[in-house]
Amino acid sequence: MSGILIPTLVSGLLLGSLYALMASGLSLVWTTLGVFNFAHGALMTLGAYAAWTVSVQLGLGLGLGMLAGVAVAALAGVLIELLLVRPFYDNRAMMLVTVMTTLAAAIIIERGISILWGPRLKQLPRVIDGQVSIFGAPVSAHEALIIVLAPVVLAALWWYTARTQSGRALRAVGQNQDAAALIGIDAPRTFSLAFGLSAALAGLTGVLLGSIRFVTPGLGADPLVNAMIVVIFGGLGSLGATAGAAYVIGLFEALLVLWLGLYWTPSVLFLALILILVFRPNGLFGKTT
Amino acid sequence: MNPLLQIQGLHAGYSGVPVLRGITLHLDAGEAIGLFGPNGHGKTTILRSVSGLLRPTSGTITFDGKDITRAKPSAIVSAGLVHAQQGNTLFGQMGVEETLELAAYTPRARTGWRDRLARVHALFPRLAERRRQQARTLSGGERQMLSIGCALMCNPRLLILDEPTLGLSPRLKDELRQAIVAIAADGVPLIVVEQDVEFLLGVSSRLYLIEQGEVRGEIDKAHAPDHQEIMDMYFGTGAH
Repeated sequence: MSGILIPTLVSGLLLGSLYALMASGLSLVWTTLGVFNFAHGALMTLGAYAAWTVSVQLGLGLGLGMLAGVAVAALAGVLIELLLVRPFYDNRAMMLVTVMTTLAAAIIIERGISILWGPRLKQLPRVIDGQVSIFGAPVSAHEALIIVLAPVVLAALWWYTARTQSGRALRAVGQNQDAAALIGIDAPRTFSLAFGLSAALAGLTGVLLGSIRFVTPGLGADPLVNAMIVVIFGGLGSLGATAGAAYVIGLFEALLVLWLGLYWTPSVLFLALILILVFRPNGLFGKTT
Repeated sequence: MNPLLQIQGLHAGYSGVPVLRGITLHLDAGEAIGLFGPNGHGKTTILRSVSGLLRPTSGTITFDGKDITRAKPSAIVSAGLVHAQQGNTLFGQMGVEETLELAAYTPRARTGWRDRLARVHALFPRLAERRRQQARTLSGGERQMLSIGCALMCNPRLLILDEPTLGLSPRLKDELRQAIVAIAADGVPLIVVEQDVEFLLGVSSRLYLIEQGEVRGEIDKAHAPDHQEIMDMYFGTGAH
């Protein structure tokens, strides 16, 4: 049993790291604007394709490819905010309207990718080749890198939102828009920033995921559903809670796959979410007020 | 002398319901003025229009000679016109010190922010004591102090205080009023909204009575009426 358990835990850690990267981007937009960005997965996919074009098709290396993936996704994120979210700021049903508009963006991006890059599967090269061993479980060096990179990125994001004026402004706008305006914070600019930063995270996640899985137009759609579970599970709030929930769900999912198999895992995951929300309506780490 | 703030024929309201019906008032450089009058008659609406939170339907607002009638709130703060809202909870999940640091956000507020932070701590020692606490754990009086402290961190050339002592105990009221007197003594031009006319006369040179969205009276400190006349104005029992 222990021969399977440790590789399972490591794969759970890997899943958790990917969810943490995705969910932190989602929760950044949610806490700043109160918008759930359904195009987040499509932005991941876009990042992976852009990275593929630059690194494989143009042969410019993975470093530039990653940069391109992050930049293209960030640009697309800012465009989504400008064109599909900004017109509805003053709408009372902004949250619902933006569910539709960001879902539309997701479909447009996915179909656009199909047309531009064609249906054939693609694969990104790995950032590092070779194998390492974590507690005796063999893991590819690339996957180990993701496991190490995720906490670093999360820590950087935390530092940004807690210690810099522009990061604090993001939190301020999310908590009290009028008060933020009255100390000179330009809310629309802050919203663009939140969307761009979140999309950049999506792009990075997409590039990392694209070297583990095949790059298809639906690359980001599947993990997006789980990342949304993570954000709700974490209590729709702080970065720490979201990251914690990401690792809990990642490990739980890996264990479920071991115990029940791939087939039942998604349903049980959703059942667990519903049960938790019955007993802890504000999420696993949410405040119980 | 050109006025620092000039409001001319201001009309404004919420979703089509008019609240202000032609407000005209001004504030000269280096002056402090007070607004008083019954609740729900437009005092806060005037302030929200001035700070850009509410778009007026007609009329003009000029600050230091520049038209700011339809400017964004952030641009108005950058110009140095700062509005501390009534009963504001600011940012619930942010620390006291962090909030004050963030409030020095615009370029004009950024220069010399450490000196202003020291000044805010001197005015409100409680904010220094509670610097690590989250804003939502503060008492009503402390929130009001934080709100005024934030406004001071913006490096105001004109500071607007909307009922800074609303709902506070007499002791806290006193504490805040002393701080406001000290701010006025620092030479910061003020617009203060208050119900207590005697206090207003203490910190300002002129008062406007705002009633039913109009300026119904003006009191000049130089020839201030006595208590009874003010009460008559306020309650509309006497002639003026």
